[in-house]
Amino acid sequence: MSEPNVGATFPQFRTQAIRAIHDPMLQRAIDGATLNFRTGRASALEELPDADVLRDHFKTIRSSTLARLADHLETFERNATAAGAQVHWARDAAEARGIVLSIARDHGADLVVKSKSMASEEIHLNQALAAAGIDPVETDLGEWIIQLAGETPAHIVGPALHKTREQVAELFSQEAGRVMPPDDIPGMTELARGILREKFLAAGIGISGGNIAVAETGTVVLVTNEGNGRLVTSAPPVHIAVVGIEKVAPTWDDAAAWLQLLARSATGQPLSIYTTAITGPARADDPDGPQEVHVVFLDNGRSRQLGTQYEEVLQCIRCGACLNACPVYQEVGGHTYGHPYSGPIGAVLVPLMFGLEEYAALPHASSLCGACLEACPARIDIPRMLLALRAEEVQRHVVSRPEHFVESAAATVMAHPRLYRTFTALGRFFQRPFVRKGGLRPPGPLNLGGDRALPALAKRSFRAQWSELEREGGSDGLSA
Amino acid sequence: MAESKRIALMVTCIVDQVMPEVGMAAVRLLRRAGYTVEFPQEQTCCGQPFFNSGFRERALPLVKRAIEIFEPYDAVVAPSGSCTTMMRAEYPHLLEPWPDWHARAQALAAKTYELSEFLVHQAQWQPQANPHAPRVTYHDSCHMNRMLHLHDEPRSLLEAAGCTLVEMVDPGRCCGFGGIFSVRMPELSNAMTGEKLRRAVATETDLMVTADPGCLMQMRGLAEGLRIEHVATVLEELTR
Amino acid sequence: MASARDEIMARVAAQRRDATPPPVWRSRRHFEDLRDRFEESLRKVKGETIRAGSLDEALAALDSTLADLGAQSVVVNGDSLLAGMDWAGRWPERTLHVAGQSDGDLRAFCASADVGVSSADAALAETGSIIVTSGPGRSRLATLLPPVHVALVPASRLTTDLFTFTAARSGAQPAMMTIISGPSKTADIEQTMAIGMHGPKRFIVILFDD
Repeated sequence: MSEPNVGATFPQFRTQAIRAIHDPMLQRAIDGATLNFRTGRASALEELPDADVLRDHFKTIRSSTLARLADHLETFERNATAAGAQVHWARDAAEARGIVLSIARDHGADLVVKSKSMASEEIHLNQALAAAGIDPVETDLGEWIIQLAGETPAHIVGPALHKTREQVAELFSQEAGRVMPPDDIPGMTELARGILREKFLAAGIGISGGNIAVAETGTVVLVTNEGNGRLVTSAPPVHIAVVGIEKVAPTWDDAAAWLQLLARSATGQPLSIYTTAITGPARADDPDGPQEVHVVFLDNGRSRQLGTQYEEVLQCIRCGACLNACPVYQEVGGHTYGHPYSGPIGAVLVPLMFGLEEYAALPHASSLCGACLEACPARIDIPRMLLALRAEEVQRHVVSRPEHFVESAAATVMAHPRLYRTFTALGRFFQRPFVRKGGLRPPGPLNLGGDRALPALAKRSFRAQWSELEREGGSDGLSA
Repeated sequence: MAESKRIALMVTCIVDQVMPEVGMAAVRLLRRAGYTVEFPQEQTCCGQPFFNSGFRERALPLVKRAIEIFEPYDAVVAPSGSCTTMMRAEYPHLLEPWPDWHARAQALAAKTYELSEFLVHQAQWQPQANPHAPRVTYHDSCHMNRMLHLHDEPRSLLEAAGCTLVEMVDPGRCCGFGGIFSVRMPELSNAMTGEKLRRAVATETDLMVTADPGCLMQMRGLAEGLRIEHVATVLEELTR
Repeated sequence: MASARDEIMARVAAQRRDATPPPVWRSRRHFEDLRDRFEESLRKVKGETIRAGSLDEALAALDSTLADLGAQSVVVNGDSLLAGMDWAGRWPERTLHVAGQSDGDLRAFCASADVGVSSADAALAETGSIIVTSGPGRSRLATLLPPVHVALVPASRLTTDLFTFTAARSGAQPAMMTIISGPSKTADIEQTMAIGMHGPKRFIVILFDD
């Protein structure tokens, strides 16, 4: 059982990254999973007519919704309340936990079933429930696995994708009190079904997140494949949905575009198996369903992004496509990011919402290759925001003093051709002892490239050879 | 037609100092396409390293001087998709707060080209097929591929020059360079490069070709036994 | 002290600006035969379709499906299509619960029933999905807890896709609406697909012409 990694300063990130890179089982698991997701996504989008136009359309939906977010939130609240739901507001994680706990206490609940929810991971709800003597049981199979393992999700969509079947079998054997063979995945699934079914039927409260909050009807939409989203909203007498304030779709037409892209981008499915839309508690003549429905709108740093250059980050629908596309995520996995929101979107979201100092490495955990932007259904320009965060780190002196000095000095050299020539000439001289096979291999701490040879300066620069090149002739004369 | 235009080579600092042969090849290719190429001696760096590491204030003087140096020309050509992206996409963006500079940046952006792009679309140059051309695999550099959308241009030139192109799995996957990233997180950067190199080796071609000096520098630093060349060098040799 | 609601609203409202939402996206799909597409799409997600030429044929197919399954206890959602039928007379040998009509503990019955039978408000051809809702005589658990869910769906309720469905949406939103696109599944252990995680392990749609 490994302790969840919290925070991502440079030393933290680097340590975790090196550990991940050298873990062959983890590498195999991530490679397999992300490749599966990527190929699924590609073919699911290809199958649509005009997927790219739909993505443009969806981006406009998301941005225009955020521009009038207050109106849409009010509309949602009005319609949800009219349908009998109770709408709560939480400025931060503590407030959200407090709301959930007080509802749980009001009902004397000692067992809570949870459907997969990143928002509840974000506010560390399980720890708070457990501390209050309430047993929170994750019912998404992946979430349950990592709950049994005492870990945090390794991926927004596939929380346990880093676990091998052997590791899962071990966890399940402990839980069931009998040995589960690792190759019997249907058997393990059946075991989980049985154990969790009892929990569903015994729980006093069901807690979910919310993929979409449809304003025009006051509806919370949940997307699951296993059916946990259906069960937590059907079996227990009380349902609480913790939903980020940015998850609003003004209309069902907007929600349709959202759903059309969500599962295709996430798992490569046309739709998830179950798309469940909850509008208030069971009506008087409904034969079953919860007597109370609570929607907890979570701010927790979201509203602060509105109107800034980072507003776009609120367009995220948590599909995980950027994680699957990201070559950095593929090497380091989710836990290296030190937060349940990992990958490229996490690298933007987490420093913005939870502290640039504590997560200083995340904006740099990117080669800025742009694969995330290419994959994002809402076309969120993650590289641009990573760059902006790096600039903020410089302004706020999060980067080290020596680095400030080196960067400033180098920029000065680059701005003066004479200095540039002088320094490169000095470099040519001093590199000589370290040049081997065309590469520069300085000793120990000077070797900034790690195992990689650094580029050696050429014997003569291009500019030094220009006059000769110029004499070769104005043009080769083939077509002049 | 062609020779009446003033073409400036933006050689890039990496090519200038580390791989001058790429710049020489670029000049020769442009000459073969009918152009007289000038090399403004005052040029140093486009400013991208500082911009990418967050030192925007430090990048600004470099950006402005690059504009001053290159704006007198009819066209600016760089043997780098990344530096071209910096000049074309980031210069106008960075200078947005200053309208006069912004306008100058936009004007420069409109006439700045990556080498293979310039050869294909501006020069409309068609290399002669060389019967001894090698089998190659091509690595798409990220900025060139995703920001400039130059995917086919280098490939079409290589194929016209007689190369047999064998695509590796996901040729658009990052080589791990990322500028400052490659020294800030060397283990991670190198792991990404290792993955890239494995895919290139699996094509069993004679060499890997790319259009960005940054990628070239990065991959050569870890490549053992795999030849990696700039598209300019390869084309220049094949069309002598 | 301002309430959390007022504070959040004030912060969000302070950033309000004009932005025109895009024109509504209309379906760009066209399927020659909605039924064929439905069947094909549902098959891809491991769901089953039985085609029938009429309601009577559909009911006969339901009978034989239940027989094949060896269903002893059946819960039926007594919705507009299925409410008026004489189920007890039809299946005298089976234990039966009709939601909204039968006495007894619906929840306990669903938890041990072999099959849940329902109709559907609509069905989406593109994705092979059916749409069920809560309401009088329409139980949530009936289509969820039993290991098999059989749905009788008139072909006239087929629509092209999500976009045609939302465009035709009318009336109040029910407390629960679920779009079902196959049997319950998971891929959380090594990306290996396993059917029947929490919901039904088999999802059978009897699609009949009406």
